[in-house]
Amino acid sequence: MRFQLNPLTLKKIQRFKSIRRGYYSFIIFTVIVLLSCFAEMLVNSRALLVHYEGSWYFPTYGAVIPGKVFGFDYEYETDYRDLEKRFSNDSENFIIMPLIPYNAYENDLKAAKFPPFPPSIEDKHYLGTDTTGRDVAARLIYGFRTAIFFSLILLVVSYLVGVSIGAAMGYFGGLFDLLFQRIIEIWSNIPFLYVIMIVSSIMIPNFLTLIAIILLFGWIQLTWYMRTITYKEKAREYVMAAKALGASHSRVIFQHILPNTVSIIITFIPFSLTSGIIALTSLDFLGFGLPAPTPSWGELLSQGSNNLESLWIVSSVVVSMTVILVMVAFIGEAVREAFDPKKHTTYE
Amino acid sequence: MKKFSICLIAILCSAIFNSSFSLASTSLPKNLHWLTNDQDPVYSSPNASKGGTLRNMLESFPLTLRYVGPDSNGSFRSAILGNHMALVEEHPNTFNLIPSLATHWAYSDDNTTMYFKLNPNAKWSDGQPVKASDYAFTLEFMRSKDIVAPWYNTYYKDQIKEVIIYDEHTISVSTNQPKPRDELHSHISISPTPKHFYGDLSGFVRKFNWKIAPNTGAYQISNIKKGKSITFSRKKNWWAKDLKYFKNRFNVDRVKYSVIRDLNIGWEYFLKGNLDFFSITLPLYWHQKATGPEFDNGYIHKLWFYTDAPMPSVGLWLNQDKTIFKDINVRLGLAHAFNIEKVNQQVLRGDYTRKHSIHSGFGKYTNLNIKAREYDLNKANNYFNKAGWKQRGDDGIRIKDGQRLSIAVTYGHEAHTPRLVVLKEEYKKAGVELVLRKVDSAASFKSVLEKKHDVWWGGLIGGRKPQYWGQFHSENAHKLQTNNFTNTDDAKIDSMIDAYRSAMNIEERIKLAHALQQRIHDLGAWIPRLDTPYSRIAYWRWVKFPDIPGTRIGGPSVSAFDLAQGGLFWIDTKQKKTTLTARKKGKTFTPVTRIDETYRVNTQ
Repeated sequence: MRFQLNPLTLKKIQRFKSIRRGYYSFIIFTVIVLLSCFAEMLVNSRALLVHYEGSWYFPTYGAVIPGKVFGFDYEYETDYRDLEKRFSNDSENFIIMPLIPYNAYENDLKAAKFPPFPPSIEDKHYLGTDTTGRDVAARLIYGFRTAIFFSLILLVVSYLVGVSIGAAMGYFGGLFDLLFQRIIEIWSNIPFLYVIMIVSSIMIPNFLTLIAIILLFGWIQLTWYMRTITYKEKAREYVMAAKALGASHSRVIFQHILPNTVSIIITFIPFSLTSGIIALTSLDFLGFGLPAPTPSWGELLSQGSNNLESLWIVSSVVVSMTVILVMVAFIGEAVREAFDPKKHTTYE
Repeated sequence: MKKFSICLIAILCSAIFNSSFSLASTSLPKNLHWLTNDQDPVYSSPNASKGGTLRNMLESFPLTLRYVGPDSNGSFRSAILGNHMALVEEHPNTFNLIPSLATHWAYSDDNTTMYFKLNPNAKWSDGQPVKASDYAFTLEFMRSKDIVAPWYNTYYKDQIKEVIIYDEHTISVSTNQPKPRDELHSHISISPTPKHFYGDLSGFVRKFNWKIAPNTGAYQISNIKKGKSITFSRKKNWWAKDLKYFKNRFNVDRVKYSVIRDLNIGWEYFLKGNLDFFSITLPLYWHQKATGPEFDNGYIHKLWFYTDAPMPSVGLWLNQDKTIFKDINVRLGLAHAFNIEKVNQQVLRGDYTRKHSIHSGFGKYTNLNIKAREYDLNKANNYFNKAGWKQRGDDGIRIKDGQRLSIAVTYGHEAHTPRLVVLKEEYKKAGVELVLRKVDSAASFKSVLEKKHDVWWGGLIGGRKPQYWGQFHSENAHKLQTNNFTNTDDAKIDSMIDAYRSAMNIEERIKLAHALQQRIHDLGAWIPRLDTPYSRIAYWRWVKFPDIPGTRIGGPSVSAFDLAQGGLFWIDTKQKKTTLTARKKGKTFTPVTRIDETYRVNTQ
């Protein structure tokens, strides 16, 4: 059986593609996200490949290789940049380093000079270093990866919760709807930022707890839309037909109503994605986010704003943030156009 | 009638038990050896001239003008108390006593009591003479439930036994526990409280919230703009202005505190010439912010002043109740892998000095023979291997019986994160994982008091003499809410601490303090960090200082009030005018960066 897309969907994709800036943004964005999954191969203090005395080493993923293995006198992890220098006049042994030969944690400090160091091609600090000598580019890229996956996971879970509750409210109506409306009204009046500040001043938040905390308040927004649209869809004949055929509630909601509300959900996704990134960044900026020394945009931003003299810190993070957020906004715009109900819905 | 007599008895009883002061029928003990001090060097400058206004900033407007009771413990309190004189002060350079409200003093043989001859000229700011009964009233005041200050209630009950008035100008003050002579006065040298002003204390908190209480010092509050500013004016006929150690001090006519809510904005005010000085001790300020035209053109001067004052006991406090730290080899290994010098030299611009003893800056009490364990990965390696942490896991971190050598560091200040991230990378080399646990500073201290920490990155600042009992005596180990953060439980230390606490002879105490510091070093549960034995300020060129621009413990004196150390500077009003016109016209002066090492202690 051949997999065939719904002609309506095909039409939507067509429309999406026809909006150039959204389409290209989508491609670039996807490539960046995919690349960031393999950031260890591009930005790392570990070599990609070492050929030493006849043996081959691939240090990128895997255990730490102590300096002794390559003839240094220490037991801690090999300094591959040092090794590269040693091999430079060596015809037999060789080493291939990643594009940016620094990881996001190490402090590249120099004698008699004080960080932050300005961008330097010679040192391969293409965007300079931060106040403790860590490579800004490396922290930017690893920080992006954290932020985007944080945002994606947050999006999936908060949509799961929001969509289910919203759809249930619309579908069941009555007392259930009334009760949840009130709960949501009360819940959404809790100042979300304060809660996070209080929680993270008592315990150290990690990736998952932060998602959990933001999820606590993040599911609300979508429930209202889902509730309204489900109310509308529920009154349609196909729902009645499904009910008449004896379909269960969950079948009606998830198999019949949900596919018809998907355009609402999809148009919100890009904006939720940006708000996830912004949430994490602002929490990190305020010092309530992921614990140090996790690379993060918010932490870079706060360093940058405290060291405006070192313009490379703040400008790199502001530029990358703007670019990413603008791209996501373009994608969102294109998605909304593609799903515009006026273009493909016929009302009876 | 019966009721009345019961009442009378009750009153009498309460009078007997409560009165810890009395117009004693007892006379002064014979053979008192009266002391005074006019021998020590004066630390003000004869060139000082009176006049001008010093402009200060306050980050928030005080919630009250009381110095005790609710909301009184703000930063403005020091300005109020700086104008309340005590019986005697400590010379800030020699640490000998100098006369203040008392002209002479004498010690009892049992080290519990000091006798004072009061200066008959002493006057309150409202013109009333300071009476002996005002000292007795201090006890009544501080012990009163009406002031709603439980800490002071307890302190003045537990520490101070009584005030005895012998005649109008002679009193004695005694403590409950004997104290060595170099410490006794710090408990006993109380300030008088104006009885005629307070009268009935009921409703004290509200009644006196915004009342300006009479004081004995050089300035009194003259103008309050609620929420905006508070101005102090110099008393033209201050009764103590010609006393040896107060002469040529407290020179400016007015001291104005304006509310500027943000430090960065305060800095901008300063650069514009709207504040007279600014503290720039932090490396960021000294090296980065305090540069630019105002400095290059010589309008603003910089001063780096080394002090010799007790330093906070900052270090790594290893909790010995955690299994990992029960082994001394692990503790010593950690000390040798602690590359704080790299942090100092390559991140903090080498501004700091390595701390060696837990009590550095305590003068003779500091054991200068102790040297902090140096950074040496081989030594660290040997110690860790000895402790059985030989193997390294895939991530390079040592493992023993399936457990990783992972240590959580609890700290409370964001400003320390840059230091810790460098140390974290350095510790990786030794095969130790450092997990940074930054929580808000109150929460971090709470978790430390509850002994939940592996390692606490912090320190305590206490009195002028080292104290050991709270932090190292076994009586405080393995307990919640005590300061024994390392859970040190060592018989040798216990016996030395007991001896130290009961010793009254100063030489003996110094010897014991040295031995205790050595023992603390040997146990290795406290790893010293860095000291900041200096203050740095920037000031407009019209602010003038004596030749030595500060005092041994107080640093460069920009505090306008403190009776022991403050008020040494003066403002050259003529130069202020010339400077301001010069700045308008673009005329420049030679830039000045002054480093004063008079009181620098060489610990190398």
